[in-house]
Amino acid sequence: MKGKPVVTRSSAINSSASHVFEVLRLVSAAKEPTGVSDIARSLSLPASTVYRALITLEESEYINRFQSSPRYELGPVPRLLNRALLRRFALQRHVAPMLRRLADETGETASVCARLGWYSLRISVAYGSQDFYHRDRLGEVSPLHTTSPSKAILAGLISEDVARYWRFAAKHFGTTPNAHKQTEAALTAARRDGYVAEPMRFSPGHSAVAMPLRDHAGQVIAALTLHGPVGDSGTGVAPPAGVAMHKAIEAIIAATPARYMSPFAHIDPDDLFIALPPTPHDGATD
Amino acid sequence: MTVPDLPVSDREHNKATARVLRVLSAFVADTEGFGVTELNQRLGMTKNMVHRALTTLVEQGYLMRKAATGRYELGVRILELQNFNQAEPDLRELAAPFMRQIFELTGESVSLAVRAQDFSVFIDAVETRKLGAWRTQIGALRPLHATASGRILLAALEDDAISAYAERRAPMRLTRPDGVLKPADLWRSIHTIRQRGYEIARRGVTPAMAAAAFPIADSEGGLHGAIAVGGPEDRFEPESEAVMPGLRALVFDLNARTRLYASESTGA
Repeated sequence: MKGKPVVTRSSAINSSASHVFEVLRLVSAAKEPTGVSDIARSLSLPASTVYRALITLEESEYINRFQSSPRYELGPVPRLLNRALLRRFALQRHVAPMLRRLADETGETASVCARLGWYSLRISVAYGSQDFYHRDRLGEVSPLHTTSPSKAILAGLISEDVARYWRFAAKHFGTTPNAHKQTEAALTAARRDGYVAEPMRFSPGHSAVAMPLRDHAGQVIAALTLHGPVGDSGTGVAPPAGVAMHKAIEAIIAATPARYMSPFAHIDPDDLFIALPPTPHDGATD
Repeated sequence: MTVPDLPVSDREHNKATARVLRVLSAFVADTEGFGVTELNQRLGMTKNMVHRALTTLVEQGYLMRKAATGRYELGVRILELQNFNQAEPDLRELAAPFMRQIFELTGESVSLAVRAQDFSVFIDAVETRKLGAWRTQIGALRPLHATASGRILLAALEDDAISAYAERRAPMRLTRPDGVLKPADLWRSIHTIRQRGYEIARRGVTPAMAAAAFPIADSEGGLHGAIAVGGPEDRFEPESEAVMPGLRALVFDLNARTRLYASESTGA
């Protein structure tokens, strides 16, 4: 048969599913709850198609109505799927109780971010009683030149990989030569000190210290981050409690290194692009 | 030309899409991934349907197929389905759909309680309009030994902490006419709860009331709180075949979710 392609049943279903996923991604990436007409306009789809997609997504708990309005936000299932994904990092299960103890003892937030291609992914966090804002969110994905734990990981990569990273960052994050230069200075300091210490951008008076976590072969697989008042941790000394914890976690990794390999280690980092989810800091400049 | 394809109705499209979403949702429960057969048994869909859904989900990047094992696992694009402008869900939000379903199953009042030191405090309820129903006062404190929910919360503590509680609260008063709870009776309750995973409470006043309470687990081996349903015995029998299996299944699904969250929203 010539002319129009035959629309088989299966491809019709796939196109319907792909509309639903487009709508889901749009609701997920929106800065605030969004409704039928905005979504229809953004995706150039008929309002009726969008409406049906929203109903299907709502019934399956992928999206929720925002306070009974006709606007939608992400529902419980995607959040649960994200939690389930984080659980696939064996490191999470082992560090969680350790971070909890450290946070209870110090009152400061402690977290571990795993390396995921050219990103870091926060796989475990224990909030301290001093931390009212809980800004370090579980599941947060950051390009390797952006946050303290990311930089701690980047500083530990071999120079060839760092160069590959910058090519990826220029292509996907539009990193400017200036940002590149500033980060390189921070990386040099991190290699010298063995950790990254920086004031926290959105918590005045607080700083974060991030230490790379290496496996037995010296490969950086994650970073441990601790918060603290600038006076204690932002002046070039990692807090002793953090140093002890760092040693304890590296000992756990060294005991059974294969177990703590990332479940995504088989993917070439250049093939692993993640569209960053919205955060309250979007639009804030460095 | 053969018979042309009939146009597939929207309704069918949506059903097919809902199945794709259901297959993806199954991955909440398991961290090691699934094969086609496991999913088809778990979800009661044909292997063909499951296979088509998996193919779509791999194309979308939400699942990946491990070449070595042929099993499907969550893919990295799941990480794009997050929005940090939204707050983390609290226990009320996690429990709300299940409280509603337990109410629909039993027709009786459902409550949600957390522990505050020596007390249980009700933080949410779905109440029936029926006569003689269980009434929950949101924010009310009850000593842990005095309610089914409270004993669930108590049973999750270490034995030393329970003994210390019993000493501190001695004599453990109950609402009249039941009088005082003896430590030995409290321990019997605790052991039963630990063994079978729920607590039944009956109150011998008129009308006689019955309630069942279940633990809500967190990610760290502790509890977020307790969920309970109760009503007059003449129309609500928690241990009956009509109620208990359905209740347990709902509580099981609730726990599959809450186990992914640390209590007091302290991360995982």
